[in-house]
Amino acid sequence: MTEDAFPRDPEAPEPARPPVAPAPAVPGTPAPSAPAAPKAPRPPAYTPGSAQPRLNRPVHERYPQIRPTSGYGDPRITHTGPGPGAGTEQEPERSSKLTARLTLALTVVIGQLWGLTIVVDEWMAGNTGTAWWGAGFLCLSFLVVLGLWLIDPKDR
Amino acid sequence: MSVTDPQPPAPDPPSDAAQEALHDRIAADSLTTRRDYLRIVATVSGGLAVGGVAVASGILHRHGDSDGSPEVKKIADVLPPGESLAFRYPGSEDRAVAVRLEDGTLAGYSAVCTHLACAVLWRKERGSEGELYCPCHEGIFDARTGEVTAGPPPRGLPKVVLVEEADGSVWAIGTARSGESAREGLCRQLGDDRPELADRLGCPGASARGTAPERSERT
Repeated sequence: MTEDAFPRDPEAPEPARPPVAPAPAVPGTPAPSAPAAPKAPRPPAYTPGSAQPRLNRPVHERYPQIRPTSGYGDPRITHTGPGPGAGTEQEPERSSKLTARLTLALTVVIGQLWGLTIVVDEWMAGNTGTAWWGAGFLCLSFLVVLGLWLIDPKDR
Repeated sequence: MSVTDPQPPAPDPPSDAAQEALHDRIAADSLTTRRDYLRIVATVSGGLAVGGVAVASGILHRHGDSDGSPEVKKIADVLPPGESLAFRYPGSEDRAVAVRLEDGTLAGYSAVCTHLACAVLWRKERGSEGELYCPCHEGIFDARTGEVTAGPPPRGLPKVVLVEEADGSVWAIGTARSGESAREGLCRQLGDDRPELADRLGCPGASARGTAPERSERT
């Protein structure tokens, strides 16, 4: 690490620096006459990752439980933190839409139950045409429920 | 029990482990998601649609549904006033009841309740002139018209058209559905096979030929 963690104000006065150590000896050049000061150990060069190869494997190999749609890989997370609301639900209407679809589907099925009683009643009374109209109503209601089921977002 | 309470000693480790497993199972999040419920609801909806089409196609048996016109059947030699008679007409599975009211009116109905298919009984002590009574859910039908007067049945009883001979014998000659008059039911059943009787009844479209029957209809 050759720079400070915090940027320095260029207008600030230059802080006192320690004396610069002389350049290290280069093979093939004559040694300077002055004796060299003892060298400080250099920190190892920074490399991302770990010295252990098993920790450098891809994420999906190290953590099979993490799916492509988990956490930061989830394409729905488009604007999470930092800031207010970071880490919370970023699209609450998505959950609300699912609840609304389920509620609508349940309402339609209740209507179908009522319609089936009408179909049975009309059939037993001999009104076959009305019974067929009721059967058509039941089929259309099923198509509505099918649509509510199939408009699910395809990103999961 | 809060998490800070001291744990009681477990004298029986197997039962304790079973209790812990039960607690884990109860405390676990439900594995059925809203999407699963939506799929279940869609499946139920499809089943209801198929059921409606099946009903309209005729999967349910109606009283009197048979191929051709029903046979004429003698059900009793005599039926005194205030009495009833259980019989089966026109098929062996079509339960029916014949009732003679105190004023001499002869009436016949399906004995299968239109609510949940319990047996309908004649109770002459109920009401002003007797009632047809379903004991399962207190369904009550008018003895003169077969219409629902109380209880949960959704429609009136199908009718069995009865006639009485001059010697007092009672005959069943046809059926009528719920809400259908006896004449409409007879015209529907006799229109093609027995045009002479249909003509006598004044059915629309009946041919003018045929001989007059000797029976007197008293339904």
